[in-house]
Amino acid sequence: MEFTGFPYLTAILISCIVGLVVIILIPGQRQVQIKWVSAVFSGITLLLSIYLFFAYDKSRGGLQFVETYRWVKTPGITYFNAADGFNLPMLLLTGIVFFTGVLTMWELDKRVKEFFAFYFLLVTGVFGLFMSMDLFFIFVWYDVSLFPMYLLIAVWGTTRKQYAAMKLTLYLLAGSALVLPAIVFLYAKSGLNTFDITVLMQPGTFTAAEQKFAFILLYIGFGILAAVWPFHTWSPVGHVAAPNGVSMLHAGVLMKIGAFGILRVGIFLCPQGWQYWAQLMAVLAVIGIVYGAFVGLSQTDLKYVIGYSSVSHMGIVGLGLATVSVDGLNGAVFQMFAHGVMTALLFSAVGYIYDRTHTKVIAELGGLSHVMPVASAFFIIAALASMGIPCLATFWGELMVFIAAFKTYPLGGVLAVCALVISALFMLRVVQHTFYGPRKEQYAQLADVPFDLGLPRIILLVVLVVFGLYPSLMFDMIETASIPFINGLP
Amino acid sequence: MIVPFGHVLILAGLLFLMGVFCTVTRRSLIMMLLGIEIMLNAAAILLVGSTLHWQNLEGQVIVLFVFAVAAAEVSVGLALIVWAYRRTGSVDPGDYNLLK
Amino acid sequence: MSDTLTLDSTLIAAVLATLLPFASFVLIMVFTRNHRRLSAGLSIGAITVSLISAVFLLVCHWHLQTPLQYFGRWVVSGDIVIPYGFLLDPVSLLMLTVVAAISFLVQGYSLGYMADDKGFSRYYAFMSLFAWAMLNLTIAPTLFQLYIFWELVGLSSYLLIGFWYEKFSASQAGKKAFVMTRLGDVAFFLGLLLALVHLGNLNILELNSPRVAAQMSPTLITVSALLIFGGIIGKSAQFPLMTWLPDAMEGPTPVSALLHSATMVAAGVFLFCRLFPFFSQSAVAMGVFLAIGTITMLLSSTMAMVSRDIKQVWAYSTISQLGFMIMGLAAGSFFAGMFHLTTHAGFKALLFLCAGVFIHALGTNDIFEISRLGGRRLKVPTVCMAIAAAALAGLPPFSGFFSKEVILAALAELDNPIWLVAGLLGAFLTAYYTFRLIFILVVPDQSEPRQPDDSHGHAGYWQMGGPLIVLATVTVLLGFFQGPLENFFGNHICSVSAHTGSHGWLPYIAIATAASGLILAWVEFGRRNSARVGFVERIGWLYNLFSERWYMDRFYRRFVDVVIYRIISGLCTQNDNRVIDAGLDALSKDAVQSGRFVSELHLSMIQYRLLAIFVVVALLALYFFF
Repeated sequence: MEFTGFPYLTAILISCIVGLVVIILIPGQRQVQIKWVSAVFSGITLLLSIYLFFAYDKSRGGLQFVETYRWVKTPGITYFNAADGFNLPMLLLTGIVFFTGVLTMWELDKRVKEFFAFYFLLVTGVFGLFMSMDLFFIFVWYDVSLFPMYLLIAVWGTTRKQYAAMKLTLYLLAGSALVLPAIVFLYAKSGLNTFDITVLMQPGTFTAAEQKFAFILLYIGFGILAAVWPFHTWSPVGHVAAPNGVSMLHAGVLMKIGAFGILRVGIFLCPQGWQYWAQLMAVLAVIGIVYGAFVGLSQTDLKYVIGYSSVSHMGIVGLGLATVSVDGLNGAVFQMFAHGVMTALLFSAVGYIYDRTHTKVIAELGGLSHVMPVASAFFIIAALASMGIPCLATFWGELMVFIAAFKTYPLGGVLAVCALVISALFMLRVVQHTFYGPRKEQYAQLADVPFDLGLPRIILLVVLVVFGLYPSLMFDMIETASIPFINGLP
Repeated sequence: MIVPFGHVLILAGLLFLMGVFCTVTRRSLIMMLLGIEIMLNAAAILLVGSTLHWQNLEGQVIVLFVFAVAAAEVSVGLALIVWAYRRTGSVDPGDYNLLK
Repeated sequence: MSDTLTLDSTLIAAVLATLLPFASFVLIMVFTRNHRRLSAGLSIGAITVSLISAVFLLVCHWHLQTPLQYFGRWVVSGDIVIPYGFLLDPVSLLMLTVVAAISFLVQGYSLGYMADDKGFSRYYAFMSLFAWAMLNLTIAPTLFQLYIFWELVGLSSYLLIGFWYEKFSASQAGKKAFVMTRLGDVAFFLGLLLALVHLGNLNILELNSPRVAAQMSPTLITVSALLIFGGIIGKSAQFPLMTWLPDAMEGPTPVSALLHSATMVAAGVFLFCRLFPFFSQSAVAMGVFLAIGTITMLLSSTMAMVSRDIKQVWAYSTISQLGFMIMGLAAGSFFAGMFHLTTHAGFKALLFLCAGVFIHALGTNDIFEISRLGGRRLKVPTVCMAIAAAALAGLPPFSGFFSKEVILAALAELDNPIWLVAGLLGAFLTAYYTFRLIFILVVPDQSEPRQPDDSHGHAGYWQMGGPLIVLATVTVLLGFFQGPLENFFGNHICSVSAHTGSHGWLPYIAIATAASGLILAWVEFGRRNSARVGFVERIGWLYNLFSERWYMDRFYRRFVDVVIYRIISGLCTQNDNRVIDAGLDALSKDAVQSGRFVSELHLSMIQYRLLAIFVVVALLALYFFF
């Protein structure tokens, strides 16, 4: 075992697993106890990820908090966790969404124990994937995070939940079926007998042809998870069917796994393949941005609208990755973080509303600002963030991506920017029909969100505003990874 | 040895073919089980014959085991058939189509 | 020593002026939503400090020679650097003062106007948000910062237009305003990117320096100038994105006074002034701007001639005056645009605030109705409105006369006389529709019975009256400050085009034009026993054309409904459901079907499979043994 200092990264995983075990040991009837345990353990992971985010030495850069343990020696599998400028934002995001997701599900009363157990299992996989630097473990964590998602949607979901859960699982397994051969291919071709990314990413390990082949497999495989057009249809359906806490994780974190996988595995190991396929990535991303916005325009279900806006926003991430530039990477990673927080807030806000009104159909809602002004404000602010209003975090990610895209792909950049009008139109349409308008009789008795239930939304909102007002906090972090990486490109 | 080894081989082979024929053609689970038993017995006869031919007792020991296993198999098999008959009212293997 | 001290005090004043309203916005939203007086106090306190700081800055730097810049690190990503900072030059100093002053007056006025509203605190929070964004916009040293606050100003406009959100029309108007300005902003943003890619940064002073010509080809300058002008078209409601502004009158009247006449919509013109040297490098672009300004001015004047809604009339008039400013700027006179912007901010805010008193007291927007209910007996607003109307119409000695005359002089400089003619025609129409409204309001209508009322006693009358009197004084006096202001700007880089020839005859022509408009209005509406029907209303199709806003709104409505919603969005959705989704569903159904098929192969055929096994074994045996 080689640890430099206290193993904070493993501590995150351990607190998830311990939380899981404790939840399993508590009898199912003690729902409140289970919720408190979940909140405490997810809070610990949040604190740890915040600590890591600020303890990371930006002047030094590179991999820090390294933990390695040669697990299986013959095939060269290493338990290798490390933090750098790319995965720390993701760890922070996961911590935030995890904690707020647990709080958002505070009112759950159906099979509470099982729900939180699977929730913890899912998050363990996500955390593991983000912090791992070993291909084998990345693949294992990827599958660990896929499996609980099926049950979480199929058991606790709402609209067409069986269909959605099955669709999601099939899609994601198809992605994993593309990723696995690519990983095995790279492992075999390297001849180094190791899954260690830092070793495999040395220039000259793979020929250009090998990189091109492996990258396209990895891009599509992880791209399915990142809802790259045209592999996106699982995500709105899944968003809609999932219970709200799961939607938060699903749109906030799980889709980021895809984009992060493209970055960590595809781009790190196959930089030449990346440059070769960049134009394809840009085309698909721009189509995704524009298309997602237009489809979102004619949706009638609140959560479908958010789902398609996610498709559009993940297109922006894809466009950033496709630019092969520092700004593009900065923008893409920032957008991953910002979109995660923003969409978590949207789902969290919708969650409160849906629990009260029992409908997500926009036409049946209306005038909610009269009865629940604070709950409405949460949604409206998140919707504004989704439109790219400055001083909310998403603006900066979009800005950087658009600048980078405009330099590399002028036409694509122009189209993507024009989609901003459409995304403004559909978000405002939703806000108008859901929250504005005259007071409706059937909702007159509903209560506004109290402070304790509002807490997760407040946390998300504060994060959104803090990173919106002072984005350097994040950009400085990402730059420690993106600048050396781009400079090191052949 | 009075009976030539070639005759034993022919008898065992014929018995085995009859067992196969019975198992494959008869439209009854009981008859299929019988066919399987006949095939087992053909093998046993062959074992006994070859024991005598090579003056080696191990084959006879195996035959004893085969008898024991066959007895157990028949009892379990018949029990299963009876249970299946009670469930479905038929012993025709063609009627077992749960996959459909 | 004293030098550094002044610099420091300047910086502190700038920080105070720009950041306090944000603090008040946050405090009101988070803590004092349920304390009306506290909210209003916070907001007004913040804007008061801003105003004092702004005036302090203006006075301190009245003789400013070189622009002052302050930068703080804000966002750095790769080679993109977006600093947060302040740029103090005559343009920003004057605009800062104007914005702070009018915000202050309007917020004071709102104490009376919004007194009974249940969203009182929210109103003040949004007002603070607006003040913050607008003040930062004016003082921004880079186009990035300007763009960021430009968007925030748009946001606060959206929130304030839709302030009474229970009204469908209000939320609809807010949405329309936001989306239409967003359309312009997208062009603005693209223009920014174009400039950024070729220049490397977006510092306003560097953008305005002549060095730009060395780094960008003339075509690129023209393209990026036109794109940036897209933002101006959106924000300042120029043709063809002008129709959101009349709808924006759904918001509370003080909001209309502050945002949609005096300051926010003027941000477009302000941006033009900001980038004036940059824009003037492209003659083609300036020609386009001139044409757009002219079209806007004439179109919206015609719309104002037939409207019966008092706020709508002033809204159309705002559009037309903004077009007029653009004309002046595009004609090459920087001072003309800036001066008219300043005077217009004063008298247009006054017009709206007066209209607000009528609406508040009488509960109607219709000018004939206001007249019938005896609106003229509200003495203060009536007199103030008449003063402001005279300024709007360009009658001496009110402020509007001086600034209009500067613009007309700039137009007269141009080679083609058509622009001057258009300008004069606009001035005539302006005088006509302005006094049409004033005469309808002031002259009692004999055909209607008088209704007794005493609206004087209503609450908040004097709270509202105070700001009116202040603004009226400004309107009367501001025109005489033309000389000092010109000096103020003269020190600055912006003396791109000085007045060369003198047009001694121009003021007389201008007065004559305005007077003829006034007389026409008097003949039709002011005279005893006049029919109170304008000449446009007698021509049916013309009336329809004008009152339907030249059918622009209908066109947009149909365009959005048919092209955006039905065709593009519909097609994409169909593609999603019927092609991609259905294709994949069919694929999985086919997989299930093929599974069925294979399972049918296995159906009730146990003996055949046994046979197959035996045959295969036998064949294998044959193969191996022989």
